[in-house]
Amino acid sequence: NNSSQLSSLPLQILLYVNGIYYIFYFLTTLAMIIYKSQVFSYPDDFLAPDLAVLFLMAILEVPRLYLGFKGNLTEAEAPLGLSLGLTVGSVVLCVYLLLWQTYVLWADVLLNAVLLSAYGLESGLKVTAIAAFVS
Amino acid sequence: MTAGLVLRALGGTSGRLAPPRRPDPARTLRVASLRGSPRRGGGDEGARGRLKEPHTPGPCPPFARHVPGARPFPSARQVSRERGSPFPSCPARPGNAPLLRAAAMAAPPGLGAFFALILLLLPPPALRAEEPAAEPADARDAAQARVYSAPAPVTDVARLCVCDLLVAQCDANCCCDPDCSAEDFSLFTTCSVPLVIGDSQLCSQKAAVYSLDVEANPPERIFKIIDQVNPSIFCIHATNYKQALYLKSPEIPTAENFDQLLDKFGGATFSAEPDTWNLDTDAQNPPEANETSRYEYGVPVQTEDAFLRLPSPVVSSWCSDANPAGFLVNQATKCIRSVSVKKCDSIQALSMLFYINSSILAVPKSSQMVNITVQSIVVQSLHGMRTLLSSSDVLRLPMVLDELCINAVFGVNYHITHTDTGEIIEAAAAFVLGAISKEELSIEQSFEISFTQENTQPVPLSGNPGYVVGLPVRAGFQPQGSGIIQSSNKHSQLTILHSTSTQDCLAAQGARAPVLFGYNMISGCKLRITAAMKCQPLAQTLLDVLKGQSFPEYVASFGNSQAQDVLDWVPITQLHISEQEPTGGENEAGNAEISWKKLMEYSQRRVSLLLYKLHLIKLVSRHLSYGSGQHSSCQIPVSLGIEVKWTKYGSLVNPQARIVNVTATITTTTLKQLPSGRERIIPITSSVVFTDISSPAEPSYKAWPTINIKLPFDFFYPFV
Repeated sequence: NNSSQLSSLPLQILLYVNGIYYIFYFLTTLAMIIYKSQVFSYPDDFLAPDLAVLFLMAILEVPRLYLGFKGNLTEAEAPLGLSLGLTVGSVVLCVYLLLWQTYVLWADVLLNAVLLSAYGLESGLKVTAIAAFVS
Repeated sequence: MTAGLVLRALGGTSGRLAPPRRPDPARTLRVASLRGSPRRGGGDEGARGRLKEPHTPGPCPPFARHVPGARPFPSARQVSRERGSPFPSCPARPGNAPLLRAAAMAAPPGLGAFFALILLLLPPPALRAEEPAAEPADARDAAQARVYSAPAPVTDVARLCVCDLLVAQCDANCCCDPDCSAEDFSLFTTCSVPLVIGDSQLCSQKAAVYSLDVEANPPERIFKIIDQVNPSIFCIHATNYKQALYLKSPEIPTAENFDQLLDKFGGATFSAEPDTWNLDTDAQNPPEANETSRYEYGVPVQTEDAFLRLPSPVVSSWCSDANPAGFLVNQATKCIRSVSVKKCDSIQALSMLFYINSSILAVPKSSQMVNITVQSIVVQSLHGMRTLLSSSDVLRLPMVLDELCINAVFGVNYHITHTDTGEIIEAAAAFVLGAISKEELSIEQSFEISFTQENTQPVPLSGNPGYVVGLPVRAGFQPQGSGIIQSSNKHSQLTILHSTSTQDCLAAQGARAPVLFGYNMISGCKLRITAAMKCQPLAQTLLDVLKGQSFPEYVASFGNSQAQDVLDWVPITQLHISEQEPTGGENEAGNAEISWKKLMEYSQRRVSLLLYKLHLIKLVSRHLSYGSGQHSSCQIPVSLGIEVKWTKYGSLVNPQARIVNVTATITTTTLKQLPSGRERIIPITSSVVFTDISSPAEPSYKAWPTINIKLPFDFFYPFV
């Protein structure tokens, strides 16, 4: 029954896919950092920030996705707004991993590009959903 | 920090340099110190391509500006970089635009502006400590404390050439050699270095390709700079770590950082803590700067057009003019040059101008010139006799005179004076000019170069302070009232006859051997006496043969005796002994005792006292006659014996050799007249003997300590 349902189905699909993709992304990026530290010269001063960013992003992702799900399903704008705020933080960290990592491999570029596009799409859908919930 | 612990818990994450595991493509040259091309902002090309901050305030934004489209072809073909880019002067960086465009499309315009604002104004990551600043290296001055490190590596692919080994000459089959001209390239068969690339792990980098086009006539070299693309998904797209692809230049110890380096590396193990890894990159000098502002040992001495050439034999004995003289490398070479009298004035290597016309640069790559002055000119006649010319400022060029080519250069002796900072201040050349006759097709030229530091004495010491075994004994003359004068050639101060292969005393060309301390030597020659020889000239000639042209008067007692300390020099005592010939003749000289007995018999026969005295005087004077033997029969010198008495001087553990006494004994013998037509052969010898007359050392001990006890005067009070 579409008319009384304000929850956004595309947003839900995207959040679900995002969750799965993020697990894959996290494991792949971690594996690539380990690979880079073995193959290239990766001193601790440079390795620590990169790993910190990755873990921070993982920590941010969990509440972000949870709040996104909850807000979309309960049609409440507060969790969705909070999720949008956390998305901004995730975007920043993603851009860091894309541009300012010590070694940016081509695979890094691809993964982060996909993630960034997913975030962007999500943000747009969230804003639309908030607009729908509020009005 | 805890992050570090986390890292170590993950296992295997430490900043050690592991060798990259990638297969080597065949026949390509990888330079480990070459930096790749990505992440350059502001069009910084060339050897000093440093990674700049992501947010440089230049005209080029830090993101890519064109759509890469499909992945480029995975081959080393020419890839066009400009595909409708709005910033044609900025280097391309593929891959980022579609993300931004997607992000911008998805969000409403307000949010899009917000996103763009965030991304554009994001401050540089403060997470990383001590990101090196992006100032160009030439802004760093000596105002800061300078950290010395090895010179920065050449990073420009077009300039790097590892097969260019010969200086100012074309290397064979080396296509990247800048000294090669088009004619040289036409003689090559293949290129020994076909490809010069940086680290091939980068996604896109510059490569210099050298190849020979053998189809063309004549063959020509093709030089292309292309973009080489790595198709692997794990190629390095960008790197924010400056030393990622470089071998680290080690820090050169100086007075300032020596302690810190010793702390870090002085122990049995040293940690890989990157505390100081960022420091030395700040002070790297750009390679184009004047870092060699002085000559160093072995560096070719530069002149205004090329290098100071010292012709020397290469492969065969023929002279090759391509041997540069190295700084502080004393060389002496001899080589053969083919000449002809007809082309006397056209052969450049025979003229003085060829050796002095280009002036020497005082320091490399500078414009300060040092002219080569002519120090002296010695003219050698056809028979080999040399005369020193009094005026050496007139330039004598070769010319043909009476079917001879005169003023041809037979030898050049360069003498370069330098300062202790490696700067050349003076250059002088001494020439030997000679004459070439019509029949000669080749002459032997000899060249020598020697370097002395300014304000140092040119005569090297033979020991400090005592003589060192094997070094020449120093000797000289003392003219009236002044110090000792020595010959500057340390091997010709005290010499003895040098035996030649012909063993003929009169044909000996004056070959002398230096007297080396501690080495007993004996040499000689054979003298053929014919009836027609006159005694006096023969005696004088033999004296010259034995003693040489300039027999010194004083010998230095220590190896480092100064010329002005006359008392440090030992005079040479000269003795003459005349000996009796073993076969026949009257028993004139010889045993003084026998003749004394005869005298007694004479006196007993009551010969007058006057006659007796006269006879005595004659015998005595014959026995100890100084100068020439003025006797009715001839006295010729047959042997010279130099006896050097030396002693050990100084401390017990490190005794120094000191010459105490030098005696030169000339033994003469009578020359009997020969019947005409007959000839005799007499051996002539000269010898040097070193005798150690040091008395055994007595160790001396310190005196017993004296015990000074002074009792007060009323010590024994009740009894005194």
